Amino acid sequence: MVCNSLQKYYNETMIAKTTHINDTKNLVGSLPAVRYTEPQYLYIAMANARCPNAELFIKEGDHVNSCQVIGMRHAAFFDQPIHATCSGTFVGLEKHYHRNGKLTDFIKIENDFKDTLDPSVKQRTPEEIAALTKDDMTEIIKNCALVGLGGSSFPTYIKFQTNKPIDIILINGIECEPYITADHRLMLEFPRRVIDGIKYAMQAFKCNKAKICIKSKYKDIKQVYEQVLKEYENSGIEICCVKNYYPQGWEVAMIKEATGIQLKPGELPSNRGIMNFNVSTMVGLYKAIKYNMPVIKRFITITGDGIKNPMNFRVRVGTSVRDLLSQYCGGYINPDKDKVFIIGGPMMGNSVPSDDIIITKTVTSIIILDKEDYVEQPCVRCGSCVLSCPVHLEPVQIMNAVKSLDKERIKMLNPLRCIECGLCAYSCTSKIHVTDYIRRAKVFAKL
Amino acid sequence: MAIFKQNAPHLRRNASVTRMMVDVLVALAPTLIFSFIIYPIKTLIFYLISVVIMEAAEFIYVGLKGIMPNDGQKHSFKERFNYAYKGKYNQNNILTAAITAIIYTLIMPAGAPIYAVIIGALVGIVLGKLVFGGLGSNIFNPAAVGMLFAKVCFGSQYAKNVPTWYYTVADVTTAPTALSNSAGTLNGLIENFNNANFLDMFIGRMYGTLGEVYTVTILVGAIYLLIRRSADFRVMLPYLGAFALFSLVAGLGFYAVDGTTNPGAFTLFSLLSGGVMFGGVFMLTDPVTSPINSPSRIIYALVAAVSTVFIRLFTAYPEGVGFSILIANMVAVVLDHYEWSSPRYTWKKFLTMGLLIIIPAAIIFLVIKFGGVYHA
Repeated sequence: MVCNSLQKYYNETMIAKTTHINDTKNLVGSLPAVRYTEPQYLYIAMANARCPNAELFIKEGDHVNSCQVIGMRHAAFFDQPIHATCSGTFVGLEKHYHRNGKLTDFIKIENDFKDTLDPSVKQRTPEEIAALTKDDMTEIIKNCALVGLGGSSFPTYIKFQTNKPIDIILINGIECEPYITADHRLMLEFPRRVIDGIKYAMQAFKCNKAKICIKSKYKDIKQVYEQVLKEYENSGIEICCVKNYYPQGWEVAMIKEATGIQLKPGELPSNRGIMNFNVSTMVGLYKAIKYNMPVIKRFITITGDGIKNPMNFRVRVGTSVRDLLSQYCGGYINPDKDKVFIIGGPMMGNSVPSDDIIITKTVTSIIILDKEDYVEQPCVRCGSCVLSCPVHLEPVQIMNAVKSLDKERIKMLNPLRCIECGLCAYSCTSKIHVTDYIRRAKVFAKL
Repeated sequence: MAIFKQNAPHLRRNASVTRMMVDVLVALAPTLIFSFIIYPIKTLIFYLISVVIMEAAEFIYVGLKGIMPNDGQKHSFKERFNYAYKGKYNQNNILTAAITAIIYTLIMPAGAPIYAVIIGALVGIVLGKLVFGGLGSNIFNPAAVGMLFAKVCFGSQYAKNVPTWYYTVADVTTAPTALSNSAGTLNGLIENFNNANFLDMFIGRMYGTLGEVYTVTILVGAIYLLIRRSADFRVMLPYLGAFALFSLVAGLGFYAVDGTTNPGAFTLFSLLSGGVMFGGVFMLTDPVTSPINSPSRIIYALVAAVSTVFIRLFTAYPEGVGFSILIANMVAVVLDHYEWSSPRYTWKKFLTMGLLIIIPAAIIFLVIKFGGVYHA
């Protein structure tokens, strides 16, 4: 406790390395997730950030079953089936905001509240599962359109296609950004699904070691898993407490902390025999292998200083945030004040210009903050951004290079290594939006 | 209610430039008060002169920078004033000039004539700061620039003006400061050292500028700054540490020649005399004129320490802190060049730091022992 308050004090001091973000997880961290929120209409995205084109297999008025393939997204080197997340009638296409902040076509399905499952969903027996090889699993999760559910939306089957020997699987349950508690609730409420998913992944990669990485301050998760792991003897799965720093959830920082291996910039973890997944991806893998089911429900957090009742939810993919806000969260605090809607964490998440947001597979949280206007002061070169940068860049030098439009200088300063964690702007004592300058520098450096 | 789009990150730390400047003001306050008790009139006059000049210069500068471009229409004075000052002149502009004025006051000798103070303050704020672009853009410490300009131009006019109720020295007009002496040699320095009373030096009962001699209050300010982290310990501690080390080596050199000088006591004497503490705590740590990353900050502090010791021991100037701060400020610009600037500690940087300690230490010892600058 003393250590934590000292750490907090040092983060608030001037010329210091920032490692903690003011954490408000206590808002909702212990609240159980609200379930069975069956909305009238569900919306399923046609295209997403990785797949710009999509085609539809159904006509208006068609009846669809839950988990039925209703379309196909096309990307440069892979296709991704679109699944219905409830049973009902296809009404038409509507435009809503996607998590990347763009207006996108959404397939509107009227819910018939029967939840009839598609015939493709079938339970596999333990013997069938034990007989599955990595290639079989790759095929299954490809058909189930499983992607990285921590927010990257990188197709998981591509990770499964690696031929490199894997020694250890790391499960990222760190959730280092403030406000978000979706993975926290998932880990507490479905520990057996998480562990079963990890076992399937270990079976696929033929490795016998896995670590579930959590923040050491989450004593509740640690207790749950220590208890549940007793049921799985000699599973090789252990719980690994990492430090409470931000950005500990960044894969390089997590791997360093959990295994002691320092990855080089741009190196893939699989080169060192490491495979890392998000916890919610593991639950998706469990569903896909055990029931041949795509991700149709997920945990999300709706929180922030701008709404009355912050809450955790387990909702169907495709639920409209506007409905959840009005039905469960009790509306806004200070409705006269301007608000910011953030999808994802407050440090790295996108903000959208409307509350008309649809929850897609990779939305972890919706954060509603009161808009604050920061007045930029001249930089006094205090060096907080340089001390805080987790990839050892010099954000202030990059900013000055961008201001003077010096392309050579920008390239020498390596802005492409930036992971956009946002610590430079967060720690800036002059309230300069340094991260924005670095995004511009990235554009310059690619020219 | 309107919903706005903004770029990540959406949170900000609870720290501001204003707070950093207020911290420096608070840290300077004990020294200023001590100085005011010892020299009430001088401190007040010098401070009022410098603060008025510096605030006015800053104010006029912001106005000149914001002159409305000619768009063919007539604008009232109020419109022009708002165009220049609204959102551009704020509490930071006032605080930065106030800090510079306090530091400038405290490093001016009590015997300086008023016109020297005025000219020094003007040169310091204009040539030391505003010509570079104001707050955050200057490469030299403005207070050091002003003080040295006044000293170099009008140094011969400085009088020895000391309050006899605080000092115990009998002959006011000819008594040397701790560092300067009539002979101007190292022998004179050691003579001063042998006559020194460390307790008197610690509480500032010796000659010096208005504020730099009160080591006790400077230490209070240093501790406050380090706890609040408004000054970087990577500058302050390496500077004072390296300076102490070089002084120890010099003391060993004196001991090797005469066999009586106590090196440890000489180190303490060097730290307590002159402006080392004040410069290292309040002037060198100014983040605007320091390099941006931590290894460079340590190298910068070492450069300042080396030049301070060299100027003190081997030049005609008794006191080297002002010059060494300006030299280090020049080096800071070089250290920040994008081709080698990096926050990582590499073996090259450690080598640089090691050489910056070993070579000057060897030079100091060898010159004192064999250079013929000091005679037993």
